[in-house]
Amino acid sequence: MNASLDISVRGLDVNFGQARNVLTGVELAVRRGEFVALIGASGCGKTTLLNVIAGLVPVAAGTVTIGGAPPVAGRGDICYVLARDALLPWRTVTGNVEYGLELSGVGREERARRAATYIDKVGLAAARDLYPSRLSQGMRQRASLARAFAVGRSVYLMDEPFSALDSQTKLTLHDQLLGLWETSGATVVFVTHDIGEAITLADRVLVMSKKGIGVVDEIHVDLARPRSAEALQADERYHDLYRRTWTALKASAQ
Amino acid sequence: MTDVANSEAKLGSAARSVGGRPASIFAARAAFLAIILLAWQGAVDSGLANAAFISTPASVAQSLWHLFRDGEIFPDLGTTVLEITIAFALSVVFGIASAVVLDRNDWLNRIVSPFLTAFNSMPRIALGPLFVLWFGIGIASKVVLAFSLGYFIMLLSTLGGLKNVDRDLLLMSRLFGASELRLFRHVRFPWALPGIFAGLKLTLIYCSAGAVIGEMIAAKSGLGVLLQSFSGRFDVAGVLALILIVALLVMTLTSVMDLVERRLLEWSRGSTDVPG
Repeated sequence: MNASLDISVRGLDVNFGQARNVLTGVELAVRRGEFVALIGASGCGKTTLLNVIAGLVPVAAGTVTIGGAPPVAGRGDICYVLARDALLPWRTVTGNVEYGLELSGVGREERARRAATYIDKVGLAAARDLYPSRLSQGMRQRASLARAFAVGRSVYLMDEPFSALDSQTKLTLHDQLLGLWETSGATVVFVTHDIGEAITLADRVLVMSKKGIGVVDEIHVDLARPRSAEALQADERYHDLYRRTWTALKASAQ
Repeated sequence: MTDVANSEAKLGSAARSVGGRPASIFAARAAFLAIILLAWQGAVDSGLANAAFISTPASVAQSLWHLFRDGEIFPDLGTTVLEITIAFALSVVFGIASAVVLDRNDWLNRIVSPFLTAFNSMPRIALGPLFVLWFGIGIASKVVLAFSLGYFIMLLSTLGGLKNVDRDLLLMSRLFGASELRLFRHVRFPWALPGIFAGLKLTLIYCSAGAVIGEMIAAKSGLGVLLQSFSGRFDVAGVLALILIVALLVMTLTSVMDLVERRLLEWSRGSTDVPG
């Protein structure tokens, strides 16, 4: 087995209920430290695949390993970022970032120190004592990112975390996510239906078939890092990749 | 339940923002009270109503004064307060505990919920004479009657809060590695807290009613006993004075709970979503 391989999915079948095949014969290989985006039409099973890796959906057939071990929900080396921010409304921004650390068994002082660092990294220092009800969508999602990266796990699974944001806020969040990820060295699987987002963030964009047979095409994003989401908007290579991905996505839906 | 608590919190904050000058609010309240008392007194003075039926503010005040001056009321007040306290404490402890058990055990919940609904649908006050028969004329029968009212309110309001807990918060916590105990402490319980507070206030009101009505059925001492004897003598002022005492007692305790609630549920204040 390839030592640099972090996530390996072979011949995966997933059924929901009685004999309803959601995924059949899915293959996926993600290298350690790689940022992979999964895109595909609605119902192609991209979130299901992510949930299998997270240990939330049972494997009907095939093998799935993450860091050499089978998927289990709540594993100490995997962090899952939900589509909704899922901040505890009764905790301040600091309290919410500390919550992830607390559940990961980090001591009180270290918690406070790391929370402050990561809140600073996502630019929420001025809002650290506010309750989530006082924050905008974008600020909430930033707090959620700070919570996720403060715990420093080796694999990050993200399920359309920015889908509720307007395009301007998205670009800011992309830069912040890239900033957090580049210093973390973590492996990321990022589910999205936004082609621009996939290209901005990922090393590889994997296109999933609508038929539930998994990845049918992949686009290598050879844009240099560190990237700036805003600068990419004016980059011709970005638009070229966008067109290629769009064509692949269109083909996958047929 | 959460909605009730939220709307209360919002009303609270709205009242505060309007009352930038709390002194003027107090003045307006005093004026409102004065109008009611004057209308009452005026109705009697003008012959529109009979003082023998509705008494007068002055006579009620006099009755209150007599009750406290002679110290006549204290043993009875003590009994009633004791009954309310015990019944309230039992309702809260058992109500919350039962709600937690039923929330975590769906199988049990499905078995007992029709029985709970049936028992809660009974007019418990009508069971009062039976409770006296079973538990005697001492405080036990009043505690049981008050508890039979308070327990279900606490149970249902807590269970309502626990049942509608945000699934994403549970999922997120589990994925971070939270144990069931931590899920309860950090997610389920705080989520149910607004419902619990709404329940606490209603439970206090119903426990007070249960205790006093229980005493009116048969008792050795208590405000309900006094109420019976005053109404037997057609002492309307005395009856109203006693009811006022119970109301003031419940209001005082409720405002203490409001204070605690405001501190604990500070996060839900002004929770209008900021767009963008």
